[in-house]
Amino acid sequence: MSWRVRVVHTTGYQYEAPVMQSYNEARLTPRGDRRQNVVVSRVETTPATRAYRYTDYWGTEVTSFDLHAPHKELQVVASSVVETSDLIEPVTTGTWADMREENLLDRYTEFLEPTRYTPRNRELLSKARELKKGKTPSEAVLAASQWVSEQLKYQAGSTGVHSSAVDAWHERKGVCQDFAHLTLVLLRGMGIPARYVSGYLHTKKDGALRETVRGESHAWIEAWTGGWWGYDPTNAMPVGPRHIWVALGRDYADVAPLKGIYSGGAATALEVTVDITRLA
Amino acid sequence: MWTMEHRARTSGLRRSRTVTTPRLGELFNGYLNPARPHAGAYDEMFSTDNGVRSAYRALYESVAPSQVNELNARSEALGRAFVDQGITFSLSGQERPFPLDLIPRIITATEWSKLEKGIVQRVRAMEMFLADIYGDAQIVRDGVLPRRLITSCEHFHREAAGISPPNGVRIHVAGVDLVRDEQGTFRVLEDNLRCPSGVSYVMENRRTMARVFPDLFARHRVRAVGDYAVHLLRALRNAAAPNAADPNVVVLTPGLGNSAYFEHSLLARQMGVELVEGRDLFCRDNFVYLRTTEGERQVDVIYRRIDDDFLDPVHFRPDSVLGIAGLLNAARAGNVVVANAVGNGVADDKLVYTYMPEIVQYYLGEKCLLPNVDTFRCWLSEERSHVFDHLDELVVKPVEGSGGYGIVFGPDATVRELNSLRKRIKSNPRGWIAQPVVQLSTVPTKVGDKLAPRHVDLRPFAVNDGNFIFVLPGGLTRVALPEGSLIVNSSQGGGSKDTWVLAAKSSTQERELAQPGLAGPSEMEVAAAEQGPELTTSQQQQQQ
Repeated sequence: MSWRVRVVHTTGYQYEAPVMQSYNEARLTPRGDRRQNVVVSRVETTPATRAYRYTDYWGTEVTSFDLHAPHKELQVVASSVVETSDLIEPVTTGTWADMREENLLDRYTEFLEPTRYTPRNRELLSKARELKKGKTPSEAVLAASQWVSEQLKYQAGSTGVHSSAVDAWHERKGVCQDFAHLTLVLLRGMGIPARYVSGYLHTKKDGALRETVRGESHAWIEAWTGGWWGYDPTNAMPVGPRHIWVALGRDYADVAPLKGIYSGGAATALEVTVDITRLA
Repeated sequence: MWTMEHRARTSGLRRSRTVTTPRLGELFNGYLNPARPHAGAYDEMFSTDNGVRSAYRALYESVAPSQVNELNARSEALGRAFVDQGITFSLSGQERPFPLDLIPRIITATEWSKLEKGIVQRVRAMEMFLADIYGDAQIVRDGVLPRRLITSCEHFHREAAGISPPNGVRIHVAGVDLVRDEQGTFRVLEDNLRCPSGVSYVMENRRTMARVFPDLFARHRVRAVGDYAVHLLRALRNAAAPNAADPNVVVLTPGLGNSAYFEHSLLARQMGVELVEGRDLFCRDNFVYLRTTEGERQVDVIYRRIDDDFLDPVHFRPDSVLGIAGLLNAARAGNVVVANAVGNGVADDKLVYTYMPEIVQYYLGEKCLLPNVDTFRCWLSEERSHVFDHLDELVVKPVEGSGGYGIVFGPDATVRELNSLRKRIKSNPRGWIAQPVVQLSTVPTKVGDKLAPRHVDLRPFAVNDGNFIFVLPGGLTRVALPEGSLIVNSSQGGGSKDTWVLAAKSSTQERELAQPGLAGPSEMEVAAAEQGPELTTSQQQQQQ
């Protein structure tokens, strides 16, 4: 059963000295598709700005805004009401032969190539071969996700925003971004097209109605095994009503929730809070 | 001796296609020595039977009888004129004149009309190609090109997806590099659809030549090049969003340190628009403004001479100080036009170049008029093994980069260089193409006290104003000065030649021939004409 949830995501920056100019892009608007329905969504900033919205190459809704008055703090609040998807089952129709088909390789070339966050790595490549042995593609996706969730220890703040999958694997710990990246390296190593999904997770398994929980900004993966389907390697669980998806791309760089440039002194990120309330 | 008398003396021979010259003049002594390097190259002045080709006949008649000291005097006059005008290019931080050779390169009306058609076709096809790949990528869906050909281009900027310029033009200026092979066929060597430079030399070469050789221009019907800026300004004004009644156009330069700064300032001056640097502009709420002494002034069109990577630190290199933060989204919002468009580099990729015949066929349903140089694609395993087998005979080029950077000339490379090249190709086959050595055509060039054959290429410039693609008659002819050298880049000891396109006898261009080097209508006139007619009648539609 799908849920109806409200998400209020608050983020931003604090500056040591007043900033005169800043240009930013926020990717904080959940996407609608046949599984998820976005009822309403808005992005607001303090100080107030005149926002401009566009859809980027990956289909993500981007809110861009710039500030020209001196400010010492920038706060961005994205709120939306979303009807989430049902529990997503693996798509099992694809065979390994399908994965090697020239048309498919070309169509999903961007989701098969290594990226800065998901580089090629010899050890991980042989691990990928080992994991896929005797399994169908969809089973291999589950096996890879399972392996990653066993290899990495979830530890907030253990890696930085610029850490790659291989960095996290060497550390044996990471955050959801690293779990997703490491799974992508394995899946792409197996020849399975795979992409990065950013969104939110309701932290309670049986979300009580009208109870606001401190959720989190989350990331998981989607794999193509005859069709696209998502899986959450951080929690080794299927994607379902607790997941709200916002953007997808090759890796984190394509979907960074808030990025920008400004002129002025050092900045510290504001504490990110994600308040999620199940409405129905 | 550069006088009219010679015309009478030889005019009896004009009827035949070529003039047979059993003995070449003193200046051409040894010119056709069969032992010269690259003797197989097509010489643009002399045919294989040592006759003078018709295009060069009048020039030959003027030049051949002259004395060495006269030639030297003219050559010095040319050099002085250049230094006087301050035309230099900077090489490793040193300003030096770009040597202009005194023998022009001549193209007949018939040859030019073919080239012009070919260039126009190419630009039309490339416009459609760029619009497509930054939109729905229909050419990929239809299986004509593999998707990975596009997505693996270094200059495929996903940030530019969905930006559609108001009048649809992405290639406001194109520079198509051509060479002439051993048979005399013009072939495309590469496309430059990002920031092609060199047009200032075309105009300045002509101005200087007209000053030093007024007599030659009296004897030839040479099509004018001085009105380039008029065409460029029209294209840039047309590019503006339709609501900009009097669009504000600026030329964006990286600054004084850039090797083409002279060109940037020349074009801005001739167009009568501001020459600006990134710090002079800023974006606010997706509009671009110029800081002036009278306050902010909105900018509608930016003719930028800065690479994509430096253009907007929000989307590209965040450390760039040359660009303007927020520019890309201002263009996306339709409030400013960036010319040439961001992301055009895909069309300059030398692997994409090899698919040009398919691209032209797909979008226009036509055969590609200008052939490419035969090219082997290292990313196809069959062609790659051919390249590996013939590495020492081929010219191997990285698909990215221009200006001759990174090119390995197989016949001149050492075994070690070839081995290292082989490794680099293996590790990144997508990054390399290979071509047979093309003996570029030769044109007589002053070397010491003589005229000797030297290899040349040609970069014509096309300007697309949305209704019409104008090709500047001629273009930049670059010449490799060292004997036998095929490398024409100015950074590698190249010079240039004035390029003459002869008018067809019956052409309507006769007017512009009367005074060589004279510009077309003045900027004022053009600007006035573009304001459109006065609004004298009111119009209103009745409600039905």
